[in-house]
Amino acid sequence: MTIEVTIRNAENGSNLNMELEPHTTIEDIIEGAAEFWHKEAGAYVLRRGKKLLKGQSTVMDAGLKNEDVLELIPDPEGG
Amino acid sequence: MPAKITSWNESRPRERPPPLEDRVSNHRWFTEKMNTVYRENRDFLPLYVQRIAEEKMRNHALEGMRRSHEVMGLMMGGRFEWQGREYALTRDVVTTELEASEYHVRFDHDALEGLFESLDDLDFDYSIVGWYHSHPGIGCFMSDTDISTQEGAFNMAHHSALVLDPVRREMEAYCLRDGKVVIRPMGIYWDLHQDPYRG
Repeated sequence: MTIEVTIRNAENGSNLNMELEPHTTIEDIIEGAAEFWHKEAGAYVLRRGKKLLKGQSTVMDAGLKNEDVLELIPDPEGG
Repeated sequence: MPAKITSWNESRPRERPPPLEDRVSNHRWFTEKMNTVYRENRDFLPLYVQRIAEEKMRNHALEGMRRSHEVMGLMMGGRFEWQGREYALTRDVVTTELEASEYHVRFDHDALEGLFESLDDLDFDYSIVGWYHSHPGIGCFMSDTDISTQEGAFNMAHHSALVLDPVRREMEAYCLRDGKVVIRPMGIYWDLHQDPYRG
């Protein structure tokens, strides 16, 4: 069964809604959102509340539910 | 299995005048280049940093200096528009435990929940307007790693990178313009009755 979640872009407050299958991975979600906002997927992490969503886990593993709000957060690297 | 985007909404910068000129200043850590662009753009700056946020970044950089480590965090605020021109306010900064050395820094992924908690503690509707990090003793510039970060995550017009050298006591801000890194004019602002240079 598919669910629909909202992804908030923490960099500008924009939102997008995504339809997800139980086996969609967190990496797929980040890639889809990053592509939409012209970002580098590897430079981001995704959170639900205070929990970091691990890239390899699926929608089912992560326990995502319909109407969840996830936030895309930059994960910078300096040198 | 790709995720399917069904709808979206783009947020627009909010209409709000920038901080009043008599509540904006340059900073004693500004390099000559920073002071020059500050003077040239003083009437309208694309980046204003609240003095408490500036102090937090500077103290963080000084604390890292004692361990000869770089430090890093995110600049939190909002993007605004006034008379057709866009600017960003940095109202606060957030950070967490870091994986850091003398020449490298990133968030410790085991400590990201601490970062998320700090985001939830902010008492305003935030946008991430940039990031800061330190270069202890090597001066302010954007390394190849820094530029990759800027291009990958902070490539919007309102995004900035602030670099601090706590040994030389220098500070410079940067942004991307037409794909190139350039100095970003910036000022420190304070709220009414909080003038750091009086009293």
